[in-house]
Amino acid sequence: MAIVTLDSLTKTYEHTGRPAVEDVSLEIGDGELMVLLGPSGCGKTTTLRMIAGLESISSGTLSIDGRVVNRVPAKDRDIAMVFQSYALYPHMSVKENLAFGLRRRSIAKAEIERRVANVADVLGLKDLLHRRPHALSGGQRQRVALGRAIVRDPKVFLFDEPLSNLDAALRVSTRGEIASLHRRLGATMIYVTHDQVEAMTLGTRICIMSSGRVEQVGSPIDVYRYPANTFVAGFLGNPPMNLLETRVVEGGDARSIQLGGETVRLGVDRVPESRAGTPVTFGIRPEHVAVAPAGAASVAVTTEIQQIERLGAETVVIAHLAASGHRLVIRHTGDLEKRPGDDLVVWLDLAQAHVFDAEGDSLTARIDRRT
Amino acid sequence: MAILKRSALLILLTLYTAFAAGPFVWAAMLSLRTTTEIHRDHFALPNPVHWEKFPDAWYNSNYSVYFANSLQVVLAAVVVLTLVGAMAAHCLARYRFRLNRTIYFILFSTIIFPPQITIISLFQILVSYGLYNSKIGLTLVYVAIQLPLTIYILESFFARIPNDLFDAARMDGYSDFEIFWRIAFPVALPAIATTVILNFILLWNEFLFAVVLITDESNRTLPLGIQRFIGDTQEDVGMIATGLMIAIIPVIVVYAFFSERLIQGMTAGAVK
Repeated sequence: MAIVTLDSLTKTYEHTGRPAVEDVSLEIGDGELMVLLGPSGCGKTTTLRMIAGLESISSGTLSIDGRVVNRVPAKDRDIAMVFQSYALYPHMSVKENLAFGLRRRSIAKAEIERRVANVADVLGLKDLLHRRPHALSGGQRQRVALGRAIVRDPKVFLFDEPLSNLDAALRVSTRGEIASLHRRLGATMIYVTHDQVEAMTLGTRICIMSSGRVEQVGSPIDVYRYPANTFVAGFLGNPPMNLLETRVVEGGDARSIQLGGETVRLGVDRVPESRAGTPVTFGIRPEHVAVAPAGAASVAVTTEIQQIERLGAETVVIAHLAASGHRLVIRHTGDLEKRPGDDLVVWLDLAQAHVFDAEGDSLTARIDRRT
Repeated sequence: MAILKRSALLILLTLYTAFAAGPFVWAAMLSLRTTTEIHRDHFALPNPVHWEKFPDAWYNSNYSVYFANSLQVVLAAVVVLTLVGAMAAHCLARYRFRLNRTIYFILFSTIIFPPQITIISLFQILVSYGLYNSKIGLTLVYVAIQLPLTIYILESFFARIPNDLFDAARMDGYSDFEIFWRIAFPVALPAIATTVILNFILLWNEFLFAVVLITDESNRTLPLGIQRFIGDTQEDVGMIATGLMIAIIPVIVVYAFFSERLIQGMTAGAVK
């Protein structure tokens, strides 16, 4: 059990001179599963490797249970890591792979045997103990990699995109295994992924990163509902949030914006401090755009369908606002009898809408958080 | 059609095998015949079979000494080459340090120089260090001439071992040297076997350096021993052939022992 604290953690590589991770501050609570989520190259794996001790820290402090471990070698941090490539030792059997880390820690042979047997039992590896990694399927290798971490009984578990090499079906079941493992062990876990479904389903909290910086930290549903900025809004959700650049209406109500040729009044909460003429980004998730009036706060706009994807349970429509040409993605539950080129009147649920300032920061999240 | 293709392939392979193995079979037959018999008919079958030529060569023609010398020099050189070569290759492949690629380039560039150009200076060095005409001197020279190629072959293999393996071992608590010894070395065994065979065969048959750096009868290696039967006016062909057969046995043993690994090394994608 452990609390991991990152305080202004920065990593700069000599050869690039640019920080790969910049000023990351984060506290991962005891028994929490924190997901570091972001696109490739956002610094999430570098952050994880700094926590693991595999990468030196350029500045800032990293502490585990209050003890600063910046200069503590990886082996003395009591951390186990599951790698994207599994990193199983190819010349050793499953059993030797599981025991390899324990043998180094001067643990009695009988105890090693007991722990290995125990983990093999829990992960269903009993019959595979004498096989070499190359004789295992992808899923089995993944389980051995998990087992190798569990058997050490570490303070903190680190996962570096552990499911990205598995096929879709196996990914779902292994995801479930990791979730139940977390529940059973109650251990502190840090999980790196670029897959938002993994992040949403596994994380106690999610830390979204971009360009080496933390964009937002919060529970999955909070981050989804109240994105702190346009990056988070555009990154989370599939399809992602519609982001329409517009302005606060000149000379009108400070809380009205121009949308699809119409002036839309957003309600008291939505644009608190913007002045007339200020550029803003209007954000609305595809599921909050409906083909029929939804709620008192909805407003109708006319669109022209560009593309329509019928998925059975739902239909995804890509359309353009007739007046302004803004692209709008609509997620409609069930089927929709329309074709590209058809006009479609849709209702935007303004109660679920977001407004971001010119820098991309949310003006609405702050209000919603206060309430 | 398939049968035709197969037969054509079979004929081609048989012809190639005959072409490749022919000289070997011929030398094997010569080794069981006396020089007089050979001069009578070069290609006749051994009749009678002179098995006694082998103990004769071994005991009376000093082959036992040459064989032991070759074995000592070549085994020592191969062991040092394998260990030093693997460590150097591992360092060059794995660690980022200043001048890494420069060192690699310098090592690699020595491969292109013909060995003859170093002979005179090597001779001088060995003489001044009191290593001329000694097995240790020859061993050191063998290590020096084969090390660049060994490192070159191993480096490319070590570079393909995923870094995650080393990171995992570091997290498991192992030191850099233990990681080399317990992870990198065993994982690279197919490539290491390749260099072992290559170095063993090359050095076992090495003649040029041996003939320049060894003159003492008690330190001669097998190729020098065989040369002893080639005189100015006549040569003992039968004994040369017997010597060749004795010399070839360890090569066959080494190849048989390591060949599977050699094939793995050459067709590698071995690390996954």
